[in-house]
Amino acid sequence: MTPLHAEFARHLTRRQFFRRSALGLGTAALASLLDPARVLAAPASRGALAGLHLVPRAKRVIFLFMSGGPSHIDLYDHKPKLREHHGQELPGSIRMGQRITGMTSGQSSFPCVASMFEFQRHGRCGTWMSELVPNIGSIADDICLIKSMHTEAINHDPAFTYIQTGAQQPGRPSLGAWLSYGIGSENQDLPSFIVMISQGSGNKTDQPLVSRMWGPGFLPSQHQGVRFRSGSGDPVLYLSDPEGIHRENRRLMLDGVRDLNQLAARDFGDPEIATRIAQYEMAYQMQMSVPELTDISSEPVHIREMYGIRDNPTDGGFARNCLLARRMIERGVRFVQLMHRGWDQHGDLPKQIRGQCRDVDQPSAALVKDLKQRGLLDDTLVIWSGEFGRTVYSQGQLTKDNHGRDHHGRCFSNWIAGGGIKPGIVYGETDDYCYNIVENPVHIHDFNATVLHTLGIDHTRLTYRFQGRDFRLTDVHGELVKGILA
Amino acid sequence: MNGVPFDPRPIRVVCLLALLSCLGAQAEPPSVDFNRDIRPILSDKCFACHGPDDHERKGGLRLDLRDAAVAPAKSGTRAIVPGQPEASELIQRITTTDADDHMPPASTGKTLTETQIDLLRRWITQGATFRDHWAFVSPQRPPVPRPSASAAGPSAVVHPIDAFIEDRLRREDLTPLPQATPTTLVRRATLDLTGLPPTPEEVDAFLADSSPKAYEKLVDRLLDSPRYGERMAVDWLDAARYADTHGYHLDSGRDLTAWRDWVIQAFNENKPFDQFTVEQLAGDLLPNASQSQRIASGFNRNHMINYEGGAIADEYHYAYLVDRVNTTATVWLGLTMACAQCHDHKYDPLSKADYYRFLAFFNNVPERGLDGNKGNAEPVLRLPTEDQSQRLETLNAILAEKQKAYDNALPAIDDAQRRWEASSEAHAESVPAEIRQILAKDVAQREKKDLEALRRHYRETVSGDFRQLKEALDAARKERDEFDRTIPSTMVMAELDTPRDTFIRIRGAYDKLGDKVTAATPGALPPLPSGAPTNRLGLARWLVSADHPLTARVTVNRYWQMYFGTGLVKTAEDFGAQGDWPSHPELLDWLSREFIESGWDVKRLQRLILTSAAYRRDSRVTEEHFQKDAENRLLARGPRFRLQAEFIRDQALAISGLLEGRIGGASVSPYQPAGLWEELSMREDSKNFSAQFFVQSKGADLYRRSMYTFWKRSSPPPQMSTFDAPDRETCTVRRPRTNTPLQALVLLNDPTYLEASRKLAERLMARPGTDAERVAWAFRLATSRTPGAEEQAVLLRVLAQQKDYYRRHRDAAAALLRIGEAPRADSFADADLAAWTLLSSTLLNLDETVTKG
Repeated sequence: MTPLHAEFARHLTRRQFFRRSALGLGTAALASLLDPARVLAAPASRGALAGLHLVPRAKRVIFLFMSGGPSHIDLYDHKPKLREHHGQELPGSIRMGQRITGMTSGQSSFPCVASMFEFQRHGRCGTWMSELVPNIGSIADDICLIKSMHTEAINHDPAFTYIQTGAQQPGRPSLGAWLSYGIGSENQDLPSFIVMISQGSGNKTDQPLVSRMWGPGFLPSQHQGVRFRSGSGDPVLYLSDPEGIHRENRRLMLDGVRDLNQLAARDFGDPEIATRIAQYEMAYQMQMSVPELTDISSEPVHIREMYGIRDNPTDGGFARNCLLARRMIERGVRFVQLMHRGWDQHGDLPKQIRGQCRDVDQPSAALVKDLKQRGLLDDTLVIWSGEFGRTVYSQGQLTKDNHGRDHHGRCFSNWIAGGGIKPGIVYGETDDYCYNIVENPVHIHDFNATVLHTLGIDHTRLTYRFQGRDFRLTDVHGELVKGILA
Repeated sequence: MNGVPFDPRPIRVVCLLALLSCLGAQAEPPSVDFNRDIRPILSDKCFACHGPDDHERKGGLRLDLRDAAVAPAKSGTRAIVPGQPEASELIQRITTTDADDHMPPASTGKTLTETQIDLLRRWITQGATFRDHWAFVSPQRPPVPRPSASAAGPSAVVHPIDAFIEDRLRREDLTPLPQATPTTLVRRATLDLTGLPPTPEEVDAFLADSSPKAYEKLVDRLLDSPRYGERMAVDWLDAARYADTHGYHLDSGRDLTAWRDWVIQAFNENKPFDQFTVEQLAGDLLPNASQSQRIASGFNRNHMINYEGGAIADEYHYAYLVDRVNTTATVWLGLTMACAQCHDHKYDPLSKADYYRFLAFFNNVPERGLDGNKGNAEPVLRLPTEDQSQRLETLNAILAEKQKAYDNALPAIDDAQRRWEASSEAHAESVPAEIRQILAKDVAQREKKDLEALRRHYRETVSGDFRQLKEALDAARKERDEFDRTIPSTMVMAELDTPRDTFIRIRGAYDKLGDKVTAATPGALPPLPSGAPTNRLGLARWLVSADHPLTARVTVNRYWQMYFGTGLVKTAEDFGAQGDWPSHPELLDWLSREFIESGWDVKRLQRLILTSAAYRRDSRVTEEHFQKDAENRLLARGPRFRLQAEFIRDQALAISGLLEGRIGGASVSPYQPAGLWEELSMREDSKNFSAQFFVQSKGADLYRRSMYTFWKRSSPPPQMSTFDAPDRETCTVRRPRTNTPLQALVLLNDPTYLEASRKLAERLMARPGTDAERVAWAFRLATSRTPGAEEQAVLLRVLAQQKDYYRRHRDAAAALLRIGEAPRADSFADADLAAWTLLSSTLLNLDETVTKG
C-alpha cells in the first residue's frame, strides 16, 4: 500500500463502496472485505438522487398487480341505480363515441349489466364493497379506495405497459426500476426490486405477462426487477449449487476464484476486478439469505392461516407471495411487485370473478393487517390495482346468470394504503353507469406522481438522460392527488 | 503497478480556466468553441423554452439561432449583445439574485455553474459566434497532426489514428502506455473480431511469427474468418431489434433467420456499407431485386407485431411506422427523431412535420395492423429449397390429378344418384326419415336445400365411388397444404402501387390526424438529390451519399465503441445538440472521410482501427491514468472490459470443445430453467400458438453460438439478459455493462457452464503430462496466457482440495458429472473428473476469462 494507492483510491468517486474498499485498503483489506459480516455491514447502495426532495412518508412499496383488468363494477364501484338500467341498451349520451375494442365493436347491442353481487358497507368509514371481497372490506378503514382511475389504453399490452412504465409502447423503465435507480437499496444481500408471479384460478385463457413490466427500459440493467419464482426450482435463477457441489467445496472453489482475481487486481489495477470479487461474495451470501427469506416454515401457524396459505395452494400461489412480500420488505427490499393473472373476464364473469376473489381477497387483506400489526404499514405503501376496468355493457349474451365484460379504460377502481395515504376514504366518483368519471379523475400519471411523492420524490425531478432527453416516469404529465394524502 | 509519479495538475482546460478566472488571472484565455463549449450549455439549460420548438417558446426568445438571439425583444432588451456581456440580458438573467428574473427558472431544476456562466460571458465577449451544430455539417478531412519527434522517432511512420490521439494526449500531458504483450494482443484481436478466444495453438503461432507484419497478418486472418461475420452481426441484431417472436401480447413465433443469415454473409463478404444500407432499407425496390436483396429488406420488419384480440389495427400499424422511423434515425442518423413524434424537437432542428415526412417513407408497405398469429406477417417471401420446390410441384401435380379425376367422375355419380332415387333401396327403413320425406315429394316441388340434402346423403353415405374420390382429393390437398406450411419464409418490405396518405398525428396520437404530408428528408439535413425517387430507395441512397453529414460518423463511431467500449461520441445513439461532444472530433471526421472514400469498406475500417497503436496498448490501469482519465476517453491505455453476453457463453463452449460451429440457419434453444415462458403466458389455448412452450434443443443444437439462441422477447434467454443483452423490443446501439451477483450465479451454476466445465475437465485429463502442466494449459485455454507461479499454486491448491473432497464424497462426484446432456468419457474416475470439473469451473469464473484485456 503506497501513498499513490491511497491517492488513486480517493479519486474513485463514482465507484461503489466495494470498489473503494477494495482498492483503497489494498490486498490485505480485500481479504477482510470478504468477511461476510463486513459485506453485510456495508452501507446500503445509494440511488442517483443526491437526496430526497421531500420528507418521505413511505420507504418501500408492495404493488399487488391484478393482471387482466378486474371489474370495478363487481368489486368496488357500487351503483344501486344500475339495477334500473339492467338489460337496457347503454345510452349514447354515456358512451359518447368512446372507442371500443375489436372484441365487442362488432356487437349490435350493448346491454347494461348491473352487478350480480351484493354490496354492503364496511368499517367505520362505511365504504361499500361487494360480497366477493369481504376480507378487503374488513380493512376498509385502513385503505384509500380510488374509484376514478383512468387510462387511455383499452387493450392489455399497452395498458399493462402503461401502468407499469408510464408509457403504452415498450422501452421505458418500470416503476420499481425507477425507484431502484433513484433511491437505491436498503439492503445489501437482496435485490432492491423483486417480482413474483401467481396464476389466477378465474380465467385459464388469460392475457400473458411480459418481462418488460418489470424491465429496466433505458436504465442500467441492474435496476430491473429480479423474478423470485415459486415451486420446486430456485427462487432466483441459478441460485442453488447443483447436486454435487456442497457448501464446503463451493467455498474452497470460490476461495480459489477470489485468490486468482486478487492476483489479477494486483497486476491489472482495474477497479472492475475488485467489484467482481465483491459480487461473487454477494452471490455466496444470497445463496444463504434467499432460502432463509423464502422459507416460510418459520412463520407461526396463525400467521400462515391469516394469509390463507394452504399446503396445496388453490390460489395460484398468491397468498404465499403476499407473506413473502412482507418478509422481503422487512429485510429492506425497496419494491415488491406481485403479479396475479386471470382477471380478464370477457365471458363467464360471475364464475371466474368468484375464483379470482377467492385467490386474492384474504391474502391481500391479511398483508395489510399484518403490516399494520408490526408497525410497518406506517412507512410501507400497498397498492392493489389492475391495468383498467371493465365495461358496464355485456360482452356476449346477457343471460339470467351469465355475462362477460370487455376492457374499459375510462374509469376503474384501485386501492392504496400505508405511509402518507389517508386511510378509510373513498376518492373520486363515476356516473350511474360506472362508465365515466364525474368527480376527481386520477390518471395513471397522477397516481404515479403521488406514489413518488409519498416516497419523498418530486416526480418532475426523478429523471434519466436518454437520447438527449431527461425522461421521467410521468413523462410530461402527472398532478399530485392531494386529496388522498394524509 | 508501475510507479508513475503522481501529478496533481488539473487536466481539464475548463477547470484550469475556472481557476484562472476565480483568481482574476490576466492570462489571455483560449477562444471559446461554440459547438464544444456553448451549444451544450444552451441546449441543456435553455432550449426547452428558447429552442426550436415553436409551441413551447417563452417570451418569444429563441437562442438556437444567432439572428433571433441578438435581435431586440419587444421590451427593447437584447438577449445577446455581441462583444458586450454586461449589456446582454442573457448574462443579466443568469447572474441576477432576483429569484423572479433568474434563469433558468428554479422550477426547471436546472442551474448553471460558475464555469458555464464564465464560458457564456467570454463567448459573448469574443463576439458570440454561432456555428451550425457540428454533426449537421458534412465532415471534411482534417489535416493529420504532425507527430512530435520524440513520440515517433526519426523514421517511424505514425498511424493516422495515433497522430490524432497522441496529439490530444500531449496536450493533456498524459503519457500513453506501451504496446501490450503479444499474448494479450492476439487474445484481444481474436475476441474482438470473432467473439471467440484464440486457441493455444493460435497464440503460439502468433508468438512464433517474428516478421514485422505479424500483427497485420493476424488481423487479416481474423477478418477472413467466417466467425468475423457472426461477431459483427451480433451488434447489428441489437440495432435491428432482431428477435424470434412478435413481442406483443402472446408473443408467438416468427422466422427472420434468413435475414440474420444475410447479415452474417454480408459482413463476411465485406459488402460495402452503402450497399449494406440500401439493400436493408430498400432491397425490394432495387431494379430486378434479387432474392437476397429482398431478404435484406427485412431489416425494417424486425419490429414488434401485434394481434391481440380486440386491439385496433390502425393503432398498431402506426406503432410499426414509428418504430421504423426511430430505428432508422438512430442507426443511420444518430438522431433522436422520436422526440419529434408529438411536438417539435426541443433541442434539434427537427420539426413534427419532419418526423411525419420521414414516416411517410415507411408507410407504403402492404401490411396489416394486426397480424402474425400464424407466424410471419405479410408481406413475406417464401424460401423453398430446390428439393422443396420440386416436392411442392409434385404434390401440386398429384392434387390436380385427383381434382381432375373427381371432376370427371361427378356426372357419372349424378347419374347413379338418379338411378338410386328411383330404386327401392332409397325408400328403405335404413334411409334417414328426412331423406325419405324429400324423395316422397314431387321432383318439381323439391327445393334447393332438398336437392342439396339428397346429394349430400347420396354422395357421403351411399356412393362408394364418391367417397373414394373425395378422400383421395382431400388427402392430396392435405398433404400439399401441410408440406406447404413447412416451406420457410421471411418477412420483407414491399411497396404499394398507390402510396398511402400520411398525416401528421396531433400529439402523436394515432387517431388524431393533422395535415397531410409527403415523404421528405428532415429540413435541417440536405434534401434528396433532384431526380431521386421519393421512396425508401431514394432515402437509402441519400443516407449513404458521399457528403451526408451523419451516416459515416455514426457508423464509424459504433465500430469504435465496439473495440474501445465507448465511442468517440459517447452517446452513440445521439449526435444531436444533447449528445456528447466527441473526445476526438477531428479523428471522427478523418475516419468518416476515410470510410466514405474507401467505398464504405467495412473490413478496411476495422483493419485501420485494429492496427493503431491506441488499440494495441497495454490495458493495465495505473494511478496516473485512472486519476486523470477514469473512463479512458483519451486512450492512453488499451481497452479492458467484460465480454458481452453472447461471447462469454461462446467462449465457454469453445474452450470445452463443445462448440458446434455451423453458421446460420434456424434458431435453437439451449438449456434454460423450466417454466420461464410458461409462467408468464400459459393459457388453455396456448397450443394454438407457437413459441408458448419452451422445448429444449437436443444434441449439437445445444452448443451453437449464442447468437442463434431463440430470442423470445417477453422472456429473453436469462443467460443473455443477466449479462446486459437487451430485450430486443426496440433498437439498441449501446449496451450497458454491469457487474452483478446474478452474473456470478449464472457462471457458477448454470448447467451450460457446469457441463462445459466437465467437458473441459475431460480434455485436460486426456492430456499427457503432470497436473502442473495440465492446469497451466487449462489456464492458457481460458486466458491465453501462461499462469504465473502464484496463480499456478492457487490452481493446484484448488485441484488438490477438490480431489480430496470428491474422494470423500463419491456420490457428490457422480451427481456433478450427470449435469448436461453431452456424453461423458468413461475413462476417468468420478472423483478425479469431478475435481477437474471444479478446477475448470474456477477458470470459467475468473474475471480475466470473461474480460477482454
